[in-house]
Amino acid sequence: MNKLKVGIPRALHFYRYFPFWKKILEEMDVEIVLSPLTNKKIVEKGVQQGFGELCIPMKIYYGHVLNLITNHQDLDFIFVPRYIAEVKDAYFCPKFLSLPDVIKILPNIPKILNFEVNVKEFPISYSAVELGKQLGLSRSRSLEAYNRAKNYYNQYLSFLKEGAPVNYALRLVNRNIPFKLPKQKTQNDIRLLLLGHGYNLFDTFINLDFQKKLSDRQVDVLTIENMPESVFKTPVIVNNKLRNYWRHEEEIMQAIRYFLTEGRNEIDGVIFLISFACGPDSLISELIMRDMKVVGLPYLAIIMDEHSGEAGMLTRIESFVDMIKRKKKKIELKFQQEKSKIKV
Amino acid sequence: MRATFPRMGTSWVAFKTLIENLGVEVVLPEPANRELVKFGVKHSPEFVCFPFKPTLGELKSALDKGADTIIMAIDCGPCRFGFYASVQERILRDAGYDKFRLIPLDQADLLNFQWVQTLFKISGKSSFSLYPKFVKSVLYFLKKAKYLEDIQTAEGIFRAYERNQGDTTKIVNSLLHKLDETNTNKGLREFRSVIKNDFEHLDIDKTRKPLKVGLAGEIYISLEPYVNLDIRRKLGEMGVEIYQCLSLWDWIAHKFHLNYHRKWLEHLAKPYMPMDIGGECVWVIGQYIDNAKAGFDGFVHSYPFTCMPEVTARTIITNKLKGIYDLPIIYFSFDEQSGIEGFRTRLEAFVDLMRGRRTKKKNETIKSSIHSNNNYGSHFYQECLKLVQQS
Ligand code: SF4
Ligand code: SF4
Repeated sequence: MNKLKVGIPRALHFYRYFPFWKKILEEMDVEIVLSPLTNKKIVEKGVQQGFGELCIPMKIYYGHVLNLITNHQDLDFIFVPRYIAEVKDAYFCPKFLSLPDVIKILPNIPKILNFEVNVKEFPISYSAVELGKQLGLSRSRSLEAYNRAKNYYNQYLSFLKEGAPVNYALRLVNRNIPFKLPKQKTQNDIRLLLLGHGYNLFDTFINLDFQKKLSDRQVDVLTIENMPESVFKTPVIVNNKLRNYWRHEEEIMQAIRYFLTEGRNEIDGVIFLISFACGPDSLISELIMRDMKVVGLPYLAIIMDEHSGEAGMLTRIESFVDMIKRKKKKIELKFQQEKSKIKV
Repeated sequence: MRATFPRMGTSWVAFKTLIENLGVEVVLPEPANRELVKFGVKHSPEFVCFPFKPTLGELKSALDKGADTIIMAIDCGPCRFGFYASVQERILRDAGYDKFRLIPLDQADLLNFQWVQTLFKISGKSSFSLYPKFVKSVLYFLKKAKYLEDIQTAEGIFRAYERNQGDTTKIVNSLLHKLDETNTNKGLREFRSVIKNDFEHLDIDKTRKPLKVGLAGEIYISLEPYVNLDIRRKLGEMGVEIYQCLSLWDWIAHKFHLNYHRKWLEHLAKPYMPMDIGGECVWVIGQYIDNAKAGFDGFVHSYPFTCMPEVTARTIITNKLKGIYDLPIIYFSFDEQSGIEGFRTRLEAFVDLMRGRRTKKKNETIKSSIHSNNNYGSHFYQECLKLVQQS
């Protein structure tokens, strides 16, 4: 019997959950068809479909969906998960809550394979059983698939915590290669923290591969996926009042909290990649910017949309890195002077 | 203590009663205006949704007038609103206002009665001695909120029939003033007849057959005339009758799980939007379907530029529902750049379109016309329609 064919758009939460999706779907015995890396055509298609006030990641999602349905007309399903809450106290952005609803009304769309995660209402194992049902699987088979996928995903997460860059790890997953850290390069003396949603940071087309631009300038980067578990243990309370309620923003703010306190000397600056019209980021980037001012850590917010030009981005990154270099030199110099004074 | 809160259109009348009856002085912010919005725009995150900016300006104006406590509703997701209070507090402090206190009022689910504690905290007294005051303040708040909705309902209908442009607006303003001044049980019990009585005396031309339009959208934008460019008045004066169920009362009832109308709208919207994703998304979708089925002439959807849930609602209506229900719809996304000129032209064009469509429909046979439909909308809505016919 032919396997069922399921299309997965390489966008939005792909950059966060793909290893889990891949494993669970393979365990459920379906064939996965992945859309290609984001390219110009995909963005154009998506921009045409979604209208102006949408954030660019959503438009790109449209683009990937359209790409899948034009290039693979034999898809049995298209996988469009509905992530509502993955931990009890936090939601995802409203646009994730309604993802299947806006996709299912596109013309010529195959059946939607839904995977609804909402631990406020039910455990994820239940979501997995519901997923299996749509594929005609029994409860026990779905649960088995879920457990395997969960294990695999945990391995993947620890691999990231060991320091593996996300895109590198995703490549291994995609090619079914066991996890192994890349050869260590020599360390550079500037280290930046990159903030932002996975789909902004790791979609190298839409962010104009800015990570490469940084490494070309001898800058090491760190993303929150690489940070130890302990940083993410206690919730963030904004102004002693508000328990932050967005899942991904929570992680960003926890990371920032760490670098504002204990980790103050571990990084030289922060770059926050924000998509135009992003709801959650519009607010937390404001808080972060204000905190950065207080502690005097260099901070650069890059707002991207489909019109972002390479040149502009390059200049901004260059001048930011130069500024940090100058700053470091100054401190170094001062340090030397002080040392020489002590000798005398 | 001198407390303040954003006005949100006419809702301040109800908020004011709530706080004052707890024995706390209220300092009302200036109504949203150019200066305040300018302050808001200057200090707010550039891409935050628009209501953040005028409300920030309003709060600042109240602090300037000597308020020392800000009471601001919060919730816990999924949309941006929950963050407003905290981020605004931070911004105001950084801007040099460092002496105020901010008391968040959690509105996520009013049935968990967190708000009771908050109200006690606002009053600064022990819960026991406060009990009678407390009951009164909540009761008055609810009553006034309901009357505000009634005024809005009547206004939406009557303006389309007024002979002298501006009369309805005058009545509304005087009613708001009266409602604000009414602070006795008796006065509040009888206030509905005051409303009816005032509108009965309006000079109207009941032979008109105005277009019927449903209004919906994000709550702050829909309720605050300064930011929505007074859309209800503009439409009314173009001879359009307005149906808008969105109000403070409507929202509070929903948060007490008592709003059956909203449950009905959720039911209608379910095939397209099975859950509340924040904002008014699911109810906008529901109302679009509901109004279409009732034979309305058009639908207006207003929301802040880039508002996440409303953009989703718009996507679903444009991509799907418009094709099924064919109810003309116009969208307005408001922000600090919204200009009155383009706005008026678009509204006029929309009204023309609806007129054309109605004439065409008349030539065909009218399937379901709301002029014959006498059980649509709330009880008071029906009463107002009758009042028009009887006068
Ligand atoms: S979090 Fe921001 S970028 Fe992501 S889907 Fe929501 S609005 Fe768009
Ligand atoms: S519903 Fe719209 S206006 Fe309200 S918080 Fe969300 S994005 Fe902002």
